[in-house]
Amino acid sequence: MKSRAGALAFALAAIALTLAQELYPAQTWYHDWQYIAFLAVAVVALASYAWQARNGAGRRLALALIGAAAVAVAGLLSGLIGPDTVTVIGTPGTVSPIPDLGVAAFFNPVDPAGLARGGTTITLRRRDGAAVDVGARPVPLGLAVVFAQPRPAAYVVARDARGNRLTVTQPANASFLSPVLLFRQSQSIHDRTLPFDTVAVPAEHRVARVLYFSPADLAAFGRTPAAGADQPAAVLSVADDGGAPQGIALAAPGQEADVGGLRLTITLGTYPVLVVASAPQPYALLGGLLLFVFAGGWSLLPSRPSNSQT
Amino acid sequence: MRSYRAVAAVALCALTGCYSGGGPAHSVDGGGGGPAMLAGAPAVSYAIPRVGGGNDSVGAHRGSIVLMNFWATWCPPCQEEMPALETLYRRDRARGLVVLGIDQGESPATAGAFARAHGVTFPILVDADQQYASSYVSVGLPTTVIVGRTGHVVRGIDGAQTLAQFEAIVDPLLAAK
Repeated sequence: MKSRAGALAFALAAIALTLAQELYPAQTWYHDWQYIAFLAVAVVALASYAWQARNGAGRRLALALIGAAAVAVAGLLSGLIGPDTVTVIGTPGTVSPIPDLGVAAFFNPVDPAGLARGGTTITLRRRDGAAVDVGARPVPLGLAVVFAQPRPAAYVVARDARGNRLTVTQPANASFLSPVLLFRQSQSIHDRTLPFDTVAVPAEHRVARVLYFSPADLAAFGRTPAAGADQPAAVLSVADDGGAPQGIALAAPGQEADVGGLRLTITLGTYPVLVVASAPQPYALLGGLLLFVFAGGWSLLPSRPSNSQT
Repeated sequence: MRSYRAVAAVALCALTGCYSGGGPAHSVDGGGGGPAMLAGAPAVSYAIPRVGGGNDSVGAHRGSIVLMNFWATWCPPCQEEMPALETLYRRDRARGLVVLGIDQGESPATAGAFARAHGVTFPILVDADQQYASSYVSVGLPTTVIVGRTGHVVRGIDGAQTLAQFEAIVDPLLAAK
């Protein structure tokens, strides 16, 4: 009785730990040795109990435990050989091949209104041409799940004193000519970590550093944004080509700021990154779970007498 | 039973033996690589304003050889390259070559004034949102992307080219049917 309760406890714990990979993907501890070791011990313990009970009255429960062991093996293999969590940052309009998954990620173009709204998806295209839009909900892909995670982003429009549009560049980034800043770097101010990025306006020989302040950051620094307490803002510090400071301003999202000889409109919002995380093999997980549930339920039904006559 | 436990212990070691240690989560920058890496890819197309009126796009010229040149008025190498593009356009447009000068991020008035001042007669498109240069992974200006008759990228070139360099790429494409 004691070993039966122990086996059930192992089964439930292994299923819970494996399901966690599906429900809360991209946690680094799925690849930690303690997690791996527990599932390995659970697999052996469940297989051991199922083997001992295979011919006796507990064979129905043994079948359920084999289902739980299959789930644990799926979780174990995902933790052992599944990919480490990778975040793919893509510029709007570009394509990033992900050879390990056999797909290419299309980072869809976005305009200022779309960036402010958020919710832009990433389109994954397989080699056979099949495409799937990836949003916040994880999509299984072999031994991985992929999902889009919104990150702060800014759409920059620069104008000269007469109101003419000017080219913006990102000299520090691979996405050299994109007007969308993805805040790939961060800076610590006091106890807060703030995303920042850099944009250049070559026609005016200006470089602007854009520091992103979330509503919580603004509150922490005692600033109330003009656009409302739930709106982020950006601090723009403009310098010339030689690095000499030309001006600094707090810019409300979507409103033009006149700073350092530039008229800059910064639309703040979010743009997704693609997160690739390991996940249990879905067929093994589903099959094991179904076996555990149905065989477990069957084991609760009363057995027929073994010597009944026909 | 004892032998079974030994097998179980060996299985446990085998299962965990291939553990290589959980690596930290990391980020990959999907951008970059330059326009050369796009050879063979389907050409992305956006309809954008054309100086003089109307909209145009690379997709509208499917079936022709299209040479897209991304440029801006403040870019000295772009200015130096313009005469070669103009010569190529005048010489080969009758053979099916389409040259599109796609200004990046500036106003139609700025791009139009530049084109008039420099005697440019090939179509100038104004990509105020810099979508073309972003999608074609420009790492600088000028950038030239040549699209074949099937709508796929043939070459992506970073930096200014001479007339001879343009001819070396375009002539075989125009000759091929």
